[in-house]
Amino acid sequence: MKTRNLSALLITAGLLAGAPAVAADLDAEMISNTCAGCHGTDGASVGQAPVIAGMNEMYLMQTMQNYKDGLRYGTIMERIARGYDKGQIMDMSKHYAGQPWVNAEQEVDSALAAKGKQLHMAKGCVGCHGANGISPIPTTPRLAGQYADYMVITMQQYQNPKVAIPPVAMPMRGMLAGMSEEDLKALAHFYASQK
Amino acid sequence: MSINRREFVKALGTATAVSAVGFPFIVQAGTKAKVVVIGAGYGGGTAAKYLRKYSPDIDVTLIEKDKHFYSCPFSNEVISGERSLDSIRFGFDGLAGHGVKVVTDMVTDIDAAKKTVKTQGGKSFKYDYLVVSPGVSFKPGGIEGYDEAAMEKMPHAWKAGPQTALLRKQLESMKDGGVVMIAAPPNPFRCPPGPYERAAQVAHYLSHHKPKSKVIIMDAKDKFSKQGLFTAGYNKFYKGMIEWRSAANDGRVLGVDAKTGTVMTEFDEHTPDVANIIPPQRAAAIAVNAGLTNDSGWCPVDQRTFESTQHKDVYVIGDASIAGKMPKSGYSANSQGKVAAAAIAAQVTGVKMPEPSYVNTCYSLITPDYGISVAMVYRLQNGQIVGVKGAGGLSPMKASEDTREAEALYARSWFYNIIADIYG
Ligand SMILES: Cc1cc2nc3c(=O)[nH]c(=O)nc-3n(C[C@H](O)[C@H](O)[C@H](O)COP(=O)(O)OP(=O)(O)OC[C@H]3O[C@@H](n4cnc5c(N)ncnc54)[C@H](O)[C@@H]3O)c2cc1C
Ligand code: HEC
Ligand code: HEC
Repeated sequence: MKTRNLSALLITAGLLAGAPAVAADLDAEMISNTCAGCHGTDGASVGQAPVIAGMNEMYLMQTMQNYKDGLRYGTIMERIARGYDKGQIMDMSKHYAGQPWVNAEQEVDSALAAKGKQLHMAKGCVGCHGANGISPIPTTPRLAGQYADYMVITMQQYQNPKVAIPPVAMPMRGMLAGMSEEDLKALAHFYASQK
Repeated sequence: MSINRREFVKALGTATAVSAVGFPFIVQAGTKAKVVVIGAGYGGGTAAKYLRKYSPDIDVTLIEKDKHFYSCPFSNEVISGERSLDSIRFGFDGLAGHGVKVVTDMVTDIDAAKKTVKTQGGKSFKYDYLVVSPGVSFKPGGIEGYDEAAMEKMPHAWKAGPQTALLRKQLESMKDGGVVMIAAPPNPFRCPPGPYERAAQVAHYLSHHKPKSKVIIMDAKDKFSKQGLFTAGYNKFYKGMIEWRSAANDGRVLGVDAKTGTVMTEFDEHTPDVANIIPPQRAAAIAVNAGLTNDSGWCPVDQRTFESTQHKDVYVIGDASIAGKMPKSGYSANSQGKVAAAAIAAQVTGVKMPEPSYVNTCYSLITPDYGISVAMVYRLQNGQIVGVKGAGGLSPMKASEDTREAEALYARSWFYNIIADIYG
């Protein structure tokens, strides 16, 4: 969020006309597009790394800060997040929050998803994540249409007491304790099946 | 900030654009700035797409000698038999969809004074800005006797495509108990972890199909990228199968005799069953011929914009460029393509070039389910590209199996996403 010095530009420019239109806010693009190699153009991931397009701005900022501070474990995100300062994190969070969410394209096992739905209701996930994995709470991330593999890995991290997870995720550590990988897959397939 | 730039620029009527940095780019009514991009690989494909993304009013022509692009990243999985050659081949329809004019032809000449490039097909293209991302070539005389004919016997497979298929075929027809020799080049070269990932991938194939065989890495160096992680991975999965010979231990390959299949070092001669010779490298021929390289064989560029320090309005990105601490990798080339695109778009549209930000990550697979990585975020400091302090680094030496498996999953994810980011 740097000042673009537009008034200075106006003055130096003198007569300004016929300039080709720049489509993009280059400052925000510069910093945000470094993520695209892993999260897809504009955050619409086509691999198993999470979709970050259209995520809540506060959640994005908080999550990047958590990775940076070592409060949230990632296979790689801690190493990446430490490369950006607060202003840059604010810029990229705003940028990705402004992109449309794109549901992950993946195969869903409907029997697993049905079982997942039951677990979602029975285990109380619905309380925070809403009926279909879209939470009414802005900083609780959308699970509907997220990558199933990513969600299973993340839930396994929640289960594992040796892995750092942010305080807001702590309630899930207890709730997920003792659930089998099959259960986690079922939950993930349910969320993946929702749009 | 009261008005946003887009509205501001739109509000500007019709005749001249003046760059905020002082060099006006004069646009005549109805004409667009012309950018020509050479090479549709990781760097050039990215630059072409992002130029269009940053300003639809830039006319982009992408000239690539081949009809398709074969990706080096994940070509080691073709060599191990884990994936098909087709799965690493990509076309340029997506780029055309963004309004990039794609020309299949080989650029033979860059005239930086006349701002024109010429092609083998006899065409000539004028440019206002030129982006050059042609990759690497092999240093003449780098390995004695390693000429075009030798490459057909002892593949490098360091440019993906037919060479990849050839190495795969040789592994398939090798007898159990054979020796595969991989000659790793001196620094700097394309993909520092590449030869060591390849050794693991070859061993992966051999351990399942020809378990009595051996892989010997003959190195021109005394240490290599992610060495600790690779060595631990070799010991875990391929104990006794992979041997590494450092330069100090007569590992450096100096010459070959393709007729007899001999690989020569200072003190020894070897006759492996399969020889994968990865020669010393420099920038691709077109960069050398156009006078874009310096004595190092690589192209010096302004580290903020990637504009050549030897030719004005020519931008060199990717493996061919000298980019501070950034390794020569696909992700680096992708990141540099975006920086150069922003630099050009800023000039064309008369706004300030944003502060550059660069990134790299190299994933390597020890087995299809066991991944490791090295990452770094870079910034400009006193005109140099340096790693951000405290950021990046290697996968931890001690990590759970689950973590390695997740990294293997995310390695593939990276491949799909970066390809979509370039060609999608
Ligand atoms: C085995 C292997 C594994 C690798 N794995 C990874 C990995 O996992 N991750 C990673 O980040 N990087 C990896 N790399 C490195 C990566 O391939 C390169 O760093 C990257 O391709 C560089 O991009 P570039 O644009 O500079 O060149 P390239 O991608 O090679 O593109 C150059 C293009 O220019 C074209 N060209 C050249 N000369 C001309 C001309 N005169 N006229 C027209 N067209 C021309 C070529 O045909 C080519 O298509 C790997 C490399 C190898 C060899
Ligand atoms: C090298 C690949 C890579 C790069 C570069 C990268 N990410 Fe990630 N990202 C991942 C992976 C993999 C995960 C899953 C967590 C993990 O294992 O680290 C992830 C997770 C995330 C998450 C958590 C998503 C969720 O659902 O909670 C956010 C947010 C995120 N990344 C944002 C970013 C931003 C912003 C950038 C650019 C500054 C970025 N990432 C760059 C690979 C990457
Ligand atoms: C008390 C509220 C709450 C409850 C109950 C809850 N969650 Fe969460 N969940 C969260 C919050 C908050 C996060 C984001 C954590 C963070 O910021 O890192 C989250 C994150 C997740 C994620 C990772 C999403 C991502 O994109 O990274 C998954 C998967 C998940 N929850 C599944 C579940 C399941 C399954 C249950 C039920 C067993 C459950 N949650 C119950 C609040 C809750």
